Amino acid sequence: MKLKQSKFIKELQAIVGEENATDDRAICASYSRDQHWHFVPAKNPACVVRPANKEEVREVLMLANKEKIPVIPYSTGINVRGLTIPVYDGSILLDLSRMNRILEINPEMKTATVEPGVTFGMLLEKTKKYKLRPAFPDAPLTVSVLVNYYLRGIYQTAAADGHDHVLSYEMVLPNGEIIKTGSRALSQMPYFRYGVGPDFTGLFCAHPGTCGVVTELTAKLYRLYDNRKVYFVGFDNVSTPTKFIYNLMNDELAASIRLVDSQSWLKGICGTFDYPYEKLPKFVLCILVEGLNGIFEAKDKLVVGYIKESGGKVLDFPEDFKRTFEEESLGGAEKSCMVFGLRGNYHCIGLYGPLTLAAKYYELHEKTALEVGIPKDHVHFYLDPIYSFHGQLCYVELDIFYDGSELRFGEKLRNYNEKQFQRLLDLGIYGWFRPYAGIIEPTVARIGYLAEVWKKFLEVLDPNGIMNRGKLF
Amino acid sequence: MEREEILSAIYHCVKCKLCSISSFHPNEEWLPLCPSGQFYGYQAFYAPGRLEIFREILEGELSEPSDGLLKAAYACTLCGACYEKCKQITSVEIRLPELFEELRRELVKKGWILDAHKNIVEKIKETRNAYGEKVEYRAKSVYGADVLYFIGCTARYRVPEIADAMLQIFDKLGIKYQVMDEEWCCGSVLLRTGQIEAAKELMEHNIEAIKRSGANIVVFTCPGCLNTIEKNYPDMGVELVHSTQFLTRLGNMEVKKLDMKVAYHDPCHLGRDLGIYDAPRAVLKGVVDITEMKREREQAWCCGSGGGVKSAFDDFALWSAGERIKEAREAGVEVLVSACPFCKRNLREAGEKEGMKVYDVVELVNKGLEG
Repeated sequence: MKLKQSKFIKELQAIVGEENATDDRAICASYSRDQHWHFVPAKNPACVVRPANKEEVREVLMLANKEKIPVIPYSTGINVRGLTIPVYDGSILLDLSRMNRILEINPEMKTATVEPGVTFGMLLEKTKKYKLRPAFPDAPLTVSVLVNYYLRGIYQTAAADGHDHVLSYEMVLPNGEIIKTGSRALSQMPYFRYGVGPDFTGLFCAHPGTCGVVTELTAKLYRLYDNRKVYFVGFDNVSTPTKFIYNLMNDELAASIRLVDSQSWLKGICGTFDYPYEKLPKFVLCILVEGLNGIFEAKDKLVVGYIKESGGKVLDFPEDFKRTFEEESLGGAEKSCMVFGLRGNYHCIGLYGPLTLAAKYYELHEKTALEVGIPKDHVHFYLDPIYSFHGQLCYVELDIFYDGSELRFGEKLRNYNEKQFQRLLDLGIYGWFRPYAGIIEPTVARIGYLAEVWKKFLEVLDPNGIMNRGKLF
Repeated sequence: MEREEILSAIYHCVKCKLCSISSFHPNEEWLPLCPSGQFYGYQAFYAPGRLEIFREILEGELSEPSDGLLKAAYACTLCGACYEKCKQITSVEIRLPELFEELRRELVKKGWILDAHKNIVEKIKETRNAYGEKVEYRAKSVYGADVLYFIGCTARYRVPEIADAMLQIFDKLGIKYQVMDEEWCCGSVLLRTGQIEAAKELMEHNIEAIKRSGANIVVFTCPGCLNTIEKNYPDMGVELVHSTQFLTRLGNMEVKKLDMKVAYHDPCHLGRDLGIYDAPRAVLKGVVDITEMKREREQAWCCGSGGGVKSAFDDFALWSAGERIKEAREAGVEVLVSACPFCKRNLREAGEKEGMKVYDVVELVNKGLEG
């Protein structure tokens, strides 16, 4: 897959314009690494291409497909887990940040249609005037809406949003064909996911890489309510609040429910490092109640009742902590990202699993970390339940905050991962949040014939293997 | 900075890129903060990408001065907005403007310098000012006066109305002052572009001249000069103050309020580098009505002129200034005021077509005193 560099870059420049394609070594170097470099070492793409529209994307893909050159789609430049770091020499990095138009906000349909370069911040700025918001990931609001939904359509900072925020999208395949999913294939109304036959919207989502390049996507928007109330309740362990969380979820009472470690995530949720967090209970359940007049008061009353019987300690935090929690949960993560800066880097395994296993996930996290020599005060945790609560679905994050400049720490993290992936699979999970390096192999080994079908599916879509399939097959 | 210190800082960046936008909450407005990233678009022009380039240079992986490398390293105004934002969300210090200056020093050591920046060195060698001007800016001077006005190259040769206004203010207020017969460039542009060696002679000259003047207070209308002399020169036992600090101290100057609604633009060196945000506003309030723009103080959008950008990438410099002009327009004003000759020059140039008038604080104070 070697590029005949100068000729090829000229062909790319002919498609996107001279200033939007480069093989400059330094420009390529700026895309060489993300925060996951302990696992995915730096690697430069051979060139960077910045298309402005789907026609240009299509032409670039067709050219790459003809030449059998790998393509790494990249959206707004906030990348984790090595997902946009090239695997092969000679790759094209397809920087989609110029495609940053919000194509439609439809308040009647409660939907937004966006290009890949649109961030959560950009989208909320436009939707808030309709008292609507997107479902937010617990990632900086500088990340791409389209890519995050396409990568894994489940987000959790507002439990009430549930999962499956994607309705339909348009995707360019390596051969230049364009697929429209859901009702988008039939009409100008892209608002229904199950429009035509099987759920192709879901079929292409959540791969450990990409099947093509999604150039526009329609997603659900959710209501913003004026009535809001916030509670912080402290607990000394993970198991005590699980009954309380179950009650809140079962009765569908709170918009946001987050069980966070008071020494890490709580600092971000409250928006400051400057508070005696060390005096707090180890875990804090952050609860946000919202709703229309009447409904809000009724929900709030029930929540207060459950708090009383929860066995937790109600924490009297300053008003600005409450406001920050509201903003971070229903307006996108900004100060929450303070946790990244606790020691200068973070490692996490995010997974989906039932609330019933929450305490065991934490126990296993701490056990494995200590075994590989990770200090106890580096070990952190959070859990967000997700509506509807079938399967008691929760997002669980097993975090390690460490000094990013301590290069030897990487060995500990790699040892941790190696043990922990197997242990978690043995304990039982619903799925992984991200295709972390080294996670695919032990997982695929357990999924039987599904792996074969999955492989064949990707071969049909991308016979030359040019798309970034992550570490899969 | 030592190599290990630099790499440690680079390894602490988690690439969240929140440094590229101003604080989103609570107003929930998407306001870019990084001029070079916003203008050039490639990751190389945002802080996280530039750090990766620096890493590859230090680790010996980048060994050629490609066009992209030079542009990524030098087409940054060193405005420091990224650092201010980063500080809000991390407890780990990543001093981005210092790192980017270090990057330039590293490039200069290898001889990877832009022609535009080499030319500045030549001009300074020949004329002792950054613009190669041979005509002296003349000002009367009271030998031995307690106040020394350090004019700076830009106010001497590109926006002399600022120097004129400052001198007139001294006269109107009856303040005796001196200016240096042989004021050489403070060296800021050389230091900011990594050319430290070339700056040494200038610094030595100015140190001697300032000491020789016998002044106890040195007043600057140029925050770039002030920042350089405060941070890069040794302590000379004199007080260094910006014009707006000096004027604030005078108390009630009995200026006539002008019928003018203005927006105030925070200069990067004055605000983010020196932490002076209130003095210019306090002085301005006495003369005009101020309207704040959306991005201000620590998160002000840079005018686009600093860090050697104006001399090497004028299209980028003017675009950045144009963005600020638009912001001022959105704030409902037709007059934009700054407290820096670099800002004034660049904003005025960008604002000419837009009908935006641009002043320095001292010009308006001088007008007010005329009344």
